[in-house]
Amino acid sequence: MTMDRRTVLGLGGVAAAGVALAPGLTLIAAPPPDKSEASGDQRWAMLIDVTKCESNCTACTRACRQENNVPLFGDPTRDIHWIRKLEIRDKDHRRPSVSLPVLCNHCENPPCAHVCPTEATFIRKDGIVLVDKHRCIGCRYCMLACPYKARSLVYHKTEFPEGGNPNVPIRAKGVVEKCTFCVHLVDDGKQPACVQACGHAGHKAMIFGDLNDPKSEIAMRIREVKTQTIREDLGLKPHVHYQGL
Amino acid sequence: MLSQFSAIEGRSFGYWKLVIFLGVLALMGLGAFVAVEINGHGITGMNNKIAWGIPHVFAISLLVMASGALNVGSMSTVFAVKQFKQFGRFSAFLAIALLIGGLAVLMLDLGRPDRLLLTVMHMNFRSMFTLNVFLYSGFILLCFLYLWSMFEYQQFTKVIGSAAFLWRVILTTGTGSIFGVIHAREVFHSAITAPTFVAISLSSGTAISILLLVTTFKRTNRVLEDKVVFGLRNAFIFFTFLVAYLLVVEKFTRYYSPAFYDVQSWILTGPYAWLYLFGVWGATIIIPLAVLFNPKFGNSIGGVMVASFSSIIGTFAFVAHLLLAGQSYPLKMFPGYEVSSAFLDGQVATYTPALIEFVLGFGGIGIAGVIYLLGIKFFRMIPNEAVAPEGYELPWNP
Amino acid sequence: MRSLPSYPARFPLLLVLVWAIFVLPSVVLASGTPDHDASANSHPSYAGGPPQLEKAKGESCIRETEWMRRNHMDFLKHRRAETVRQGVRIRSESLLKCAECHQSHEKFCDQCHGYVSASPDCFECHVYPK
Repeated sequence: MTMDRRTVLGLGGVAAAGVALAPGLTLIAAPPPDKSEASGDQRWAMLIDVTKCESNCTACTRACRQENNVPLFGDPTRDIHWIRKLEIRDKDHRRPSVSLPVLCNHCENPPCAHVCPTEATFIRKDGIVLVDKHRCIGCRYCMLACPYKARSLVYHKTEFPEGGNPNVPIRAKGVVEKCTFCVHLVDDGKQPACVQACGHAGHKAMIFGDLNDPKSEIAMRIREVKTQTIREDLGLKPHVHYQGL
Repeated sequence: MLSQFSAIEGRSFGYWKLVIFLGVLALMGLGAFVAVEINGHGITGMNNKIAWGIPHVFAISLLVMASGALNVGSMSTVFAVKQFKQFGRFSAFLAIALLIGGLAVLMLDLGRPDRLLLTVMHMNFRSMFTLNVFLYSGFILLCFLYLWSMFEYQQFTKVIGSAAFLWRVILTTGTGSIFGVIHAREVFHSAITAPTFVAISLSSGTAISILLLVTTFKRTNRVLEDKVVFGLRNAFIFFTFLVAYLLVVEKFTRYYSPAFYDVQSWILTGPYAWLYLFGVWGATIIIPLAVLFNPKFGNSIGGVMVASFSSIIGTFAFVAHLLLAGQSYPLKMFPGYEVSSAFLDGQVATYTPALIEFVLGFGGIGIAGVIYLLGIKFFRMIPNEAVAPEGYELPWNP
Repeated sequence: MRSLPSYPARFPLLLVLVWAIFVLPSVVLASGTPDHDASANSHPSYAGGPPQLEKAKGESCIRETEWMRRNHMDFLKHRRAETVRQGVRIRSESLLKCAECHQSHEKFCDQCHGYVSASPDCFECHVYPK
């Protein structure tokens, strides 16, 4: 008899829980038609043809600042750089210098994500390495770990710039941030801002695409021409490849 | 047993002056934290290349000394050095105090300290930081149990003391590994970084124990036999040699390989060479050894104090050099090439610490100091008199 | 040697000390730093009852109004984690879409948040189009 009563009570509890949860269930009831999700079937990557990159062109870096509302504080040691132009030259100055953009390499084995205590930095299923700025505690360990200096701490409060892009939030001070491969554009099937800008500038030095799709331009190019990544010796397997370095 | 220990009186003007001084340091540290929290890290001297600055130097030095402070206790509990048994309570308590001071600085320097709880809600077990969260909390717990057993349940002291000793070795290895495992940084990526941290924690922990014991006994007019201090001195000399050995092995291995010529010559001649030569070698190794091997100074309490103080300065210098030189040396993205950019690639980073960073750092020392001072006032930490066992002779004197 | 007070008499003092070291900073943190203009959130007086919110523009919200009133914060937070970490994007239900109907942050969101003294910091970074 006791058992029965317990069962009845239990059923009542389940029913009550059901009533309480029912409104929440609408969340998973019917997925809207315009829903998309990052998928492990894709592996986003970038190929930069250094021979086509022009030394005095900053189209990619300017486009990045515009698209992602990245501010300049006017203090070179603290400015935030998601992408930057590098000039490299052999030490004996025998060959002409080479210009190339460097951005977050979106490694397959990202040291920044390995050292992040709260998993604020993580790898999305499609290979993009992101910082969850809601979760970053600002410990800056990732800035020590990244061999590409791709990360910046937000040292000052920033304002939404005049004519900024509302699709990308600005940043709170005290968190670390970096290139996102323009994840908001990629999720909409577009190309990252720097790649677009490089095309508009007429250089077409940067291409972006899905390595897992054998017919994509980037997959074909990587199969056909000799490409390199920066600091291959570290075993990080970066997804930014360089041609003609 | 109870009669052997007593709390210090702590009513004198000098005592309260010290408490208030350290308390003000701690409060100023909290003030610095609030200022950084409101204004952002823009008001510190740190930048995107030197992301860890003076607060981390203080925090990590305190953490290193904290695990080292347990030495004196471990020597008696684990290695059965009888005359140090009377310092067991002091040692375990000092370890807790220093660890809390160091951890406070580390946490208060976070960019978003309001999100600290996230470190326990979302853990990434591959991160040395997450492992250290467990190591630090476990260390405090073990030290507390160790302390408790020494007060009430002496039958457990051996077991807990041994566990605490094992834990402190792992803890310091963990602290050193924060740097040692970072492959991107040539200056401190090394398997020997963590052992060097262990060695330097042994030397600096013993040094701070000597300093505090001598001062505390003197200021409370208790008897501290010279022979006991000289016993600690001998251990301190041994630990200092250990540090020197590891530093030499590291430099030797690096210099053997041409791949490291650039970075190693930079360490010895670059902008942080003074810190390495005078701080790491001078203050940690040369001054203490020179003083302690001198028959006159080595056999005087004053000399031992000077050597200990120098070693503590040297520990700060060691951590500062590791951190600052390690971060300022340009990343080798394109080996064999000259690099330049708007983000100051290829240049040695410049860093001018702001006053507020020192205030925050000294805040940690203030917190540790206040805890220590109040602890010895309210608990029976310090023996009434510390004498060597009957017929004990020091095996070596300078 | 002088007599010793027993532990219990001394223990609370140490507790207070430890408490001060850990709790005081958290109080400072919890009180927060007013980064944005506080006057937008504060309302002179609520004597006349709860504030009247601006009428939304569209026909219906993406969820029932009652449900939204109670759950919008959890809903947004849930979506936030999914969007950032799994890349889940539902275009018709994005945060920016809210502003198509609830056109004024000041006359809608801030009114009620001020009344219940909630101060979410979402829009210190995210843009609420005017």
